[in-house]
Amino acid sequence: MHRRKLALAGVVVGATLATALAITLSAGAGTKAGYKIYFLPKTTTIPVFTQNALGAKKAAKELGDTVTYNGPTDVSGPKQVPFINTAARQGYQGLVISTPDPNAVAPALKRAAARGVKVVSYDGDTAPDSRIIFVAPSSNKLIGAIEVQWAYSETGGKGEVAILSATPTSPNQNTWIKFMKQELAKPKYKNMKLVKIAYGNDDPTESAKQTQALIQAYPNLKVIIAPTTVGIQAAAQELQQEGKCGKIQLTGLGLPNDMRKYVKAGCANKFGLWDEQAFGYLATYVVHNVIAGKLTGKLGQTFKAGKLGSFTVAVSDGNKPVVVLGPPLAFTPANIDKYHF
Amino acid sequence: MRAVKSVVVRLLARWETLLVLAIIGAGIWSWQLSPFFLQRANLLDLLTPYIFTGLMAFGLAFVVIAGEIDISIIGNMAVSVVCFAQLFAAGVNVWLAALIGLGISTVLGLVNGTLVSVLELPSLAITLGTMAAYGGLAFVVLSGEGVASFPVHYTNIGGGYIAGNQLPIALFLVVGAAVVLGLVLHATRFGRYVYTIGSNREAARFSGIPVTRVRVTVFAISGLMAGIAGVDYVGYFGSARADAGAGSLLDVVTAVVLGGVDIFGGAGSMLGVFLAFVLVAELRNGMNLANIQGDTQDIVIGGLLLAAIVAGNLLRAAQAGRIRVGPLRLGRKEVVGQEAAEAVVSSKLATQNLKGR
Repeated sequence: MHRRKLALAGVVVGATLATALAITLSAGAGTKAGYKIYFLPKTTTIPVFTQNALGAKKAAKELGDTVTYNGPTDVSGPKQVPFINTAARQGYQGLVISTPDPNAVAPALKRAAARGVKVVSYDGDTAPDSRIIFVAPSSNKLIGAIEVQWAYSETGGKGEVAILSATPTSPNQNTWIKFMKQELAKPKYKNMKLVKIAYGNDDPTESAKQTQALIQAYPNLKVIIAPTTVGIQAAAQELQQEGKCGKIQLTGLGLPNDMRKYVKAGCANKFGLWDEQAFGYLATYVVHNVIAGKLTGKLGQTFKAGKLGSFTVAVSDGNKPVVVLGPPLAFTPANIDKYHF
Repeated sequence: MRAVKSVVVRLLARWETLLVLAIIGAGIWSWQLSPFFLQRANLLDLLTPYIFTGLMAFGLAFVVIAGEIDISIIGNMAVSVVCFAQLFAAGVNVWLAALIGLGISTVLGLVNGTLVSVLELPSLAITLGTMAAYGGLAFVVLSGEGVASFPVHYTNIGGGYIAGNQLPIALFLVVGAAVVLGLVLHATRFGRYVYTIGSNREAARFSGIPVTRVRVTVFAISGLMAGIAGVDYVGYFGSARADAGAGSLLDVVTAVVLGGVDIFGGAGSMLGVFLAFVLVAELRNGMNLANIQGDTQDIVIGGLLLAAIVAGNLLRAAQAGRIRVGPLRLGRKEVVGQEAAEAVVSSKLATQNLKGR
């Protein structure tokens, strides 16, 4: 009996406390000029996204906006959903998102949009009806084709080719691989043979393991194409450890800072990426213009993105409306020291 | 006065009371971090993205109380989700497809249970194996593709709202599941058997409890709950893929252990697991609202799991009057022995009572 009374008392005290807190809750959060923008990456544990965020913050500074950068530690669409929900609750006017799972974030993005949040996707696109504009780094066809061209120039167009990808469910990885296969099917590449697509799950350890497995299973392997910044770095390290640098070429998408020492060691002579800071910078200019009502997703609309110049809302890879950053940069031993990201 | 004092001490020493206090404390902290925390819409919607982890935790609680572990639940949920999605994509009625999904996850649970109980193999090793096997199976069924565009009358179960678009329908699902499973665990003969087996399996066998059958059943319950979690998951996220639920095992196990379930079996309550699930979701929500970085959040949740294991061990020692710092582990073993003996006797009494009626 006593116990029950005490429990009741506890509940009453708790409830009173909660009510008191609710009453004293002040609505006066300081209002600053400029827009509040939430920048949500696939995960905060991959360095490219930090680079995107640095670019985003530069753009925000020029525009007088504030950018909040946060996201999950796993590469997971469902794990992004709580971040979308809480961004909407905090009254952010704009949300920039890159997702590994286009459909899983769609219902949450639509709820956020209903609360007045303007959604722009970049890098990993969402379901088209849940965002206003998609910002693409380049055209997918160009990204896929150029990596095969790099592999061609590194191997003299002969020998076995393997792809080291991220997760088998990642839409942009799969699209690029599709275009790589298309490029490889051209007569020019008749002496190059794709033997295996391996998946390192964007995890350094797993990517290194997969690289090791490729080296062992395919003694005649001439080149690995890793269209992922995590994969290419792990593969470079593994090639160096196994003493395969120069014997097996490595190309794909990588960060100059990650790859510098492997380039100097001769473990990777040609790979590429778009300027990740410029990418985040551009996405922030897009969302700013969407919040301001200057961009609505209508094809043909143009806007100026600070130091990057003018851009047009267009169709790319059959996707619309899209703003495209431009062709990838190629990094070689000659130019790598010019890039620091 | 002394009586009141002892009641206060006993109440405070109850794990569930501490969890309620922790929930209030975390609420105050979250409110300090962010003025948006106490908004009614936020409070009502706080659990929704995590409900599938709660549903799995309720099922896992049975397994852990019985002295076993099931880490294959995420893979199990993924298999159930992709089979359901494939059937739906092939034109099967969405509800029928979901029901078949539940059947599949229950069967996968039965497979675990049979390997562990009938063949007497260690559950950690078995479910580690089936975790990998089920995860792989999910990719075989749906490869790298995803299925979406489920009908609204179905997705409402996980992602629908009523009462002015603020009250999530899935809240009824998670509370309902906790109540039903709580009754099964605390108010049935089967539930009592689960505790007895978790405390001392040999004693349970000698007292005539159908140990093998009960142990198979707890794994089947865990499987079924993984399936129900999958139904909620696809409803809320509107997307079915082979990597469904990836990375959620930490939250599920944390809810079970933080909920006061003894990782060595034999103790725990469904209320505790429910409260711990609420606490974890509340903390994640509060930290998100304060824009605390994801890695810091994982440190907090992981720290909570460690604290729960240490504190739970101390508390159980205290409850048994063995608060003196010393060889805790030794004290605990003796406690288990005592508890087991008591449980065996009371379970026999309960059996007789039931027979009497």
